[in-house]
Amino acid sequence: MINAYILIMMQPGKTDKAIKEMKKIDKVAKISIIAGEYDIVVRAQVDSLEELLDVTDKIQLVDGVSKTTTQVIEKEITL
Amino acid sequence: MKIRQKYLLYTLAVTSSFIAAFVTSIDSIISAHFIQDPYEFTLSLFLVGAIVTLVLSLVLSIPFKKKSLGNRFIDPSFVKLRLIQSSEFKYHILAGLFNAVNTIGYCILISLILEPSLILSFSQIVIIYLLLIESISEKNIPTLVEVQSSVIVTFGAILASISLKGDINIDALLIVFLIINPTWAFFSIYQRKLKLLKIKDRHNDAINIRFWNVFFSLVFTTIILLIFDFFTGTHYVVGGIVASVHSFSWVAFGMGMTFFAYVLYIRSLGLGKASVNNAIRSTTIVFAIPFSFMLASFFNIPLFSTDPVMLIIKIIGITLIILGIITFALTLVKAYIFITIRPGFSLKKTMGEIWDIHGVSRVTATTGPYDFIVKIHTRTVVKGYERIIRKIESIEAVKDYKWASVLKEWEKI
Repeated sequence: MINAYILIMMQPGKTDKAIKEMKKIDKVAKISIIAGEYDIVVRAQVDSLEELLDVTDKIQLVDGVSKTTTQVIEKEITL
Repeated sequence: MKIRQKYLLYTLAVTSSFIAAFVTSIDSIISAHFIQDPYEFTLSLFLVGAIVTLVLSLVLSIPFKKKSLGNRFIDPSFVKLRLIQSSEFKYHILAGLFNAVNTIGYCILISLILEPSLILSFSQIVIIYLLLIESISEKNIPTLVEVQSSVIVTFGAILASISLKGDINIDALLIVFLIINPTWAFFSIYQRKLKLLKIKDRHNDAINIRFWNVFFSLVFTTIILLIFDFFTGTHYVVGGIVASVHSFSWVAFGMGMTFFAYVLYIRSLGLGKASVNNAIRSTTIVFAIPFSFMLASFFNIPLFSTDPVMLIIKIIGITLIILGIITFALTLVKAYIFITIRPGFSLKKTMGEIWDIHGVSRVTATTGPYDFIVKIHTRTVVKGYERIIRKIESIEAVKDYKWASVLKEWEKI
């Protein structure tokens, strides 16, 4: 199982519609709207890097997405 | 389906508490009409419960469109029923022991007081125990808001639990304060630890946790009752087995519902602290009232008084509980911190240093422009600054960081 954060910059005013589209993507486990340099953080849970490419591809095709940065998780500590 | 994360926590916990209220009503019926002895009742709950839980877990392990039924409809972390792992063993032993003692206390209480809304009100005070234990065991000291909300919930529970006939049952209160609440607090904490464990790179699932918990609870209940029988000459173990056979359908129905109540509760424990979960679960008192009326109507179990003054006190109590829960819900601040570190510093060591900061709920080392993505849970932004940012700035390896407050969040359910 590969986990990754996809950090997304959006064009103004298109976030709500984009979130609706992203919710439909199968391997997306979590979506957070954030305030800061990026507008949305998506957490993807995939079985291979190829699947991760599929998810990033689908996100990039969502209307309003202007830039994505993918951060693959190497190690994680959680409560 | 994706749902906002805080709503997911509340949806799971409130649904669980609704089922729990229903189950308490079924237990009242069994205790009043079928198995009067609380010790035999406890054993039959776990004996029949183990069979029912096994059957339900096996059914939920059946594959359906490449995933199991349990994975698709109950918990996305569930694959199939599996053997216990060595990393879980210690927590299962402790959770099983505390659940066994808790259930013995619960069965004694239910045999003393048959009315569900009173029984459930008493047990809400557990939140105080949980806050104390969490402040010691987890790296998360309760904030003023958490303490205030917990006190409101507790006072609400006390008002809602006042016997409306005006009498106070001291035995029942002692059982609640000395057995039920402390054991439930520890039980919740170990269940949460189990849910947060990772098994083969996946989060532990609620269905396996519940199955193994019932199994260990049965083992410990049997041991406790065997010791009791040996020293006092009673026959609770034999009585429990006989009662299980005679009242199988009622107990099996109750334990089947309990399975779903617990599975949802364990899942919600994976999303929020045990104290917050128990605060939400206090809504069970509200749900217990209609069930109390149903019991009084259909099963000849005494109802609480409908004296207007007493009813007002009960309504005030329930209002306080709900207010406390809303305060919990509206005061959680979440944020991501994106961190880059200087060359020449160990990632592993820095990860440990970040993890030690109060309020950090997740640290991930990642490839890409940022070395770490850190998730923060705090009650106020001020506390986030005071406790978290200052500490991150003081870590030598940290070159730069960016704080991004979470405005809304959805999670796959």
